[in-house]
Amino acid sequence: MSSSDSGGLMSSAGLVRYFDAEDSNTIRMDPRSVVAFGVLFGVLILMLNALFMLGAV
Amino acid sequence: MSWKDTAEPVLVRMPAVRRPEGHVPFKRKLAWTAGVLVLYFFLTNVMLFGLDIGSDSAPLGRFSSILASGQGSIMQLGIGPIVTASIVLQLLGGADLLGLDTQNNPRDQILYQGLQKLLVLVMIFLTGLPMVFAGGFLPPTSVNLFGMSLSAGATSWLIFAQIAVGGVLILYMDEIISKWGVGSGIGLFIIAGVSQQLIGGLFAHPIFGSPQGELGFFPTWFQIITGNIPIGPVLQADGLQELLIGEGQIIALLTTILIFVVVVYAESVRVEIPLSNARVKGARGRFPVKLIYASVLPMILVRALQANIQFLGRILVSQTGQNGVISLFGMELPWLGVYSISQGSPANPTGGLFYYLSPIYAPQDWMWWAYSTQDALNVLLRVGVDLTFMVIGGAIFAIFWVETTDMGPEATAQQIHNSGMQIPGFRQNVGVVEKVLERYIPQVTVIGGALVGLLAVMANMLGTVGGVSGTGLLLTVSITYKLYEEIAEEQLMEMHPMMRQMFG
Repeated sequence: MSSSDSGGLMSSAGLVRYFDAEDSNTIRMDPRSVVAFGVLFGVLILMLNALFMLGAV
Repeated sequence: MSWKDTAEPVLVRMPAVRRPEGHVPFKRKLAWTAGVLVLYFFLTNVMLFGLDIGSDSAPLGRFSSILASGQGSIMQLGIGPIVTASIVLQLLGGADLLGLDTQNNPRDQILYQGLQKLLVLVMIFLTGLPMVFAGGFLPPTSVNLFGMSLSAGATSWLIFAQIAVGGVLILYMDEIISKWGVGSGIGLFIIAGVSQQLIGGLFAHPIFGSPQGELGFFPTWFQIITGNIPIGPVLQADGLQELLIGEGQIIALLTTILIFVVVVYAESVRVEIPLSNARVKGARGRFPVKLIYASVLPMILVRALQANIQFLGRILVSQTGQNGVISLFGMELPWLGVYSISQGSPANPTGGLFYYLSPIYAPQDWMWWAYSTQDALNVLLRVGVDLTFMVIGGAIFAIFWVETTDMGPEATAQQIHNSGMQIPGFRQNVGVVEKVLERYIPQVTVIGGALVGLLAVMANMLGTVGGVSGTGLLLTVSITYKLYEEIAEEQLMEMHPMMRQMFG
């Protein structure tokens, strides 16, 4: 048996727990695409603010 | 057919971040962690599109720093939905209603992961919708999109869409850090928020662009010493009070340092159970049952519960209240809650049930002799309620936490047994190890939980530098400590590739 079961004695991660087990049906995302989406989303909102909020304020 | 079979098709399909194949070098891990952290800071500074910025409101007040949420930004929700989902999961798991064996059964582990995500999504709606539509926390402004002006309702939906995307993003940012980086994302976001406040509380000065010209601890003292801030005679009650809890903030500084010291000390308080390997003679180990290891994170759940109660009160009063008194079915119910009015909208509870249930955040909330806002009896009652809530709540959630995260006697005994260890002088048997652990783990957990609750309330009562709450400070110190341990372990593995095989 692999030692990974014993390696994590009394270790709990944060509030959300992730296990090694994964289902083949799970939709997998690349971490890069998540970060890229976050950046693009932030920039989009910034642009919306810059373009359309000037008149309102 | 159990709920598992019904929910399985949905739960296994919840999107997840890909796991790295093979070993990720430590430098790469640090890069991921830093990158996500930068993204988080960037997003907390992007203001919501369509929000009326002029009217300020602080719904969760001091609590928002623990929730790592940026007021009015697309990170408005912060880790709130994750925390609330975790409360539900803890309660279900603690009452053994889930029936998931996350320790041995991979199928159940997958279901648990999916359930976590689904609950977070549900909570994004449950906390986000009232925040936008009911409490008046995020007032919409008039928006002119390509010459077409949007109604207030449509703008509100736009605001909700943005905070919902922010909530989902923070969930996946946490997953990236957990799988590709160091530590846990949530922990990191909490310490980022609290440290920011702490640094602000120490050094804030208009030179650094502090809002409303607030002064931090050191600039204030500079002003006091140079005589720019008048302090009464120091040897009389007024001047002394001003130095200790007023402008001088001496008590706040001492409390902050005290919490640091107590947590770092308490991290090392543990009961050690000796272990020896059944086959390899001389291979010995110790299993530490730590005093506060399991109890600091559950504290956030207790605080979140309190904050949600206050949130409910705010919604009730803003939807039904007249003159700041909650009224239901046309009847005024002052026993439920009376709120002070600021700028035409209800602000803080000053009487009734919601007043007694509101946690104490600062010395001003309870020192009735110095800040005469309430009479002594009311204040003492409120302190009593807060203390009881935190101490008992802390203990209960610590127990649930230990059970649901597989740190209880049964799960731990299984792990020790599987690694081929036994307690010297006892038979090599899971049941025996469990019996021994049962003598320590439950007691230590309850004492730890109650102690942490007590510390958090005490720190809030005495005040902390920068107004970081006691819970925030406790969380920050213990998360940082754990992060340090994890980084040390990582570096050990980097230096000795053999270690990797040992730790897996």
